[in-house]
Amino acid sequence: MPLLDIADVVVVRSPTSSPVLNGVTLSLEPGEKVAVLGPSGAGKTTLIRAINGFVPFSSGSITVDGIPVKGLHGKPLRHLRSRIAVVSQRHDLVERLKVYQNVMAGALGRWSTLRALRFLFWPSAEELAEAEQALRRVGIAEKLRERTAEISTGEQQRVAIARALVQRPSLLLADEPIASLDPELSHQILALLCTVADEAEFALLCSLHQPEFAYKYFDRVVRIQHGIVQRLEPKSAQGVAVEI
Amino acid sequence: MYASDSLFSQVRQFFPPDLSLSYLRAEAPGVWQTVELAAGGMLFALSIGLLLALIIGARLPGWRFLYSALVALRCIPDLTLAILCVVIVGLGPGAGLLAITIYYGAAMGKVGGDLFASASRGPVESLAATGAARFTVAFYGQLPLRFKDLLTYGAYDFECAMRAAMIVGAVGAGGIGTELVGALQNLEYQRVTTLVILLVLLIAVFDKITWVIRKYPRLLLLFVPLGAYSAWDLRPQLFAFSHTLEVLHRMWPPKLSPEQIHALPGLIGETLLVAFGGTAIAMLFALPLGAAAARTLSPAWLREPVRRLLEMLRAIPEVVWGLIFVSAAIIGVQAGIAALALHSTGVLGKLYAESLENVQPGPVMSLAATGAPGIAIATFGRLPLALPPMAIQTLFRFEWNIRAAAVVGMIGAGGIGQALYNAQQLFFYDQMLAYLLVTCVLVIIVDLMNSYVRDRWKITEGRI
Repeated sequence: MPLLDIADVVVVRSPTSSPVLNGVTLSLEPGEKVAVLGPSGAGKTTLIRAINGFVPFSSGSITVDGIPVKGLHGKPLRHLRSRIAVVSQRHDLVERLKVYQNVMAGALGRWSTLRALRFLFWPSAEELAEAEQALRRVGIAEKLRERTAEISTGEQQRVAIARALVQRPSLLLADEPIASLDPELSHQILALLCTVADEAEFALLCSLHQPEFAYKYFDRVVRIQHGIVQRLEPKSAQGVAVEI
Repeated sequence: MYASDSLFSQVRQFFPPDLSLSYLRAEAPGVWQTVELAAGGMLFALSIGLLLALIIGARLPGWRFLYSALVALRCIPDLTLAILCVVIVGLGPGAGLLAITIYYGAAMGKVGGDLFASASRGPVESLAATGAARFTVAFYGQLPLRFKDLLTYGAYDFECAMRAAMIVGAVGAGGIGTELVGALQNLEYQRVTTLVILLVLLIAVFDKITWVIRKYPRLLLLFVPLGAYSAWDLRPQLFAFSHTLEVLHRMWPPKLSPEQIHALPGLIGETLLVAFGGTAIAMLFALPLGAAAARTLSPAWLREPVRRLLEMLRAIPEVVWGLIFVSAAIIGVQAGIAALALHSTGVLGKLYAESLENVQPGPVMSLAATGAPGIAIATFGRLPLALPPMAIQTLFRFEWNIRAAAVVGMIGAGGIGQALYNAQQLFFYDQMLAYLLVTCVLVIIVDLMNSYVRDRWKITEGRI
């Protein structure tokens, strides 16, 4: 059974405009790493936000681990979301919090509300150790107690990845994770994403707009344009699109 | 103590309100006078303020002096200015009209001048390049460029002036405030309740008018005939120039006796305590109430009642709360703190709710994406993100409350305001002026401290 199964998904923003997603079909096996390529405005972000239930879709189906996303709300939706981690272009960290607080925010889905409140003011030694371990994995263990606003953009991206690790997901959705980084940093971040995905054995679905990065790091590359998946391209020769 | 025992009976005296037709009819002139005060005062304030703003914006000779004078005027709390006007032109609505004109005209002049000065250079310079005079350039360039911001501030200024029209009566400067003080002094508590209800209704109507004016600014023109009529109707009776000169002569030089100078630190301490205590208590209550009033945090069944409560707290000015407490025999610092705390809770609660609603959506969404429950999202995301604007709002409220503390002092809530009022009542005008200057210095010091704290914390969001 595929981990993620997207079949014929249509997302319409308004009745008059053309659909943002127009029958997207795509599936991911457990542990698989797939890149979604496409120009900005092609619907990559919408696709990712539809998977964890932030964007409603009018027809088609999305299942994660056999659970249909459509119509979920409340606790079942939160449970589903807790198994899908997200890393986005803008990091979307709470900049006023300490780094370890942002990292452990990944655990909020499985913690009780009381524990979440307690952690904010009195983090336990084990929790701090868990945060530090995740940060060591992304190479910035020394930033544990810094204010998130005061670390660099690249480091913030690593914090977002550490938060995803703490979440112990079965699927990581990365929405243009390197859009605001220079080429060298981009390679570092993508390599890191792929290594941690392999180690922690979660699947990775990553949207990008640079083909050279997509072919280098991913098992499979999918092209999306005008709201449809247009080509499925296996990782054959770098930079050469092979149509199926 | 005795207060808790009698508190219930104290409160009971205020109910039921006196809603008899004859009494309501008797109050109609007071209500009308309040409307006239607001309309007349604002007509003068807006037109004088706009002229001053153009002079400052055009950098005409003497603008620096004018600007400093406006800044200095703004350091006098509005009710304190009203009492000064009462001393100069005598009791009655004429004094209120003068006070509103001066205070809000100065505000409009200063803020408008700032707005004009920050208009984009290009168009202004190209107008100047035609050889036009500076005032013409300001009129054709800066005025149209800044018209929208000017209207926004004008509507806000208008709102403040309407509120001021309600309370200038507390020191005998006319309107419904004078009726309120009269009812309190005659111990007609049920009528006090009626007047407070009328006051809240008036504020609600005024709020509605302001809302409409913000939407259709042209309606402001309707206020020109009403304002002109009102101003004529309220002109100071028996204005005697020699009397004014005599009063000014008796004010100068400001003077305090050695005992009074000795007592000064204590008075200043009381005023600071009222402002600080009122703000601190308001902050404590406003935090949970603001969260309960935020659209994004709280369900409708909780949110709507809390919003109504905050509106009610906010609608009643500090001075009116203060008058009620003082008449219920709670006097001095306690009355001041309670009055400021109630009004500020209403204001801060609303502002906190808005800050919590307006945080950046990205980080909040990413927390929701981890499957976190609502309260965890609020405490990890919304609260830390909303803290800087909330801190600024609280600091501004404290700044405002220094003025408010001086004002409630004048109606018996202790501190420097009470000393000023006593001096006025006993016709020691030189002492009154001395206390007035002390109040100004206090306000300036707190303003400076506030901007220091803001710089230090690097909180740089705009004025709220």
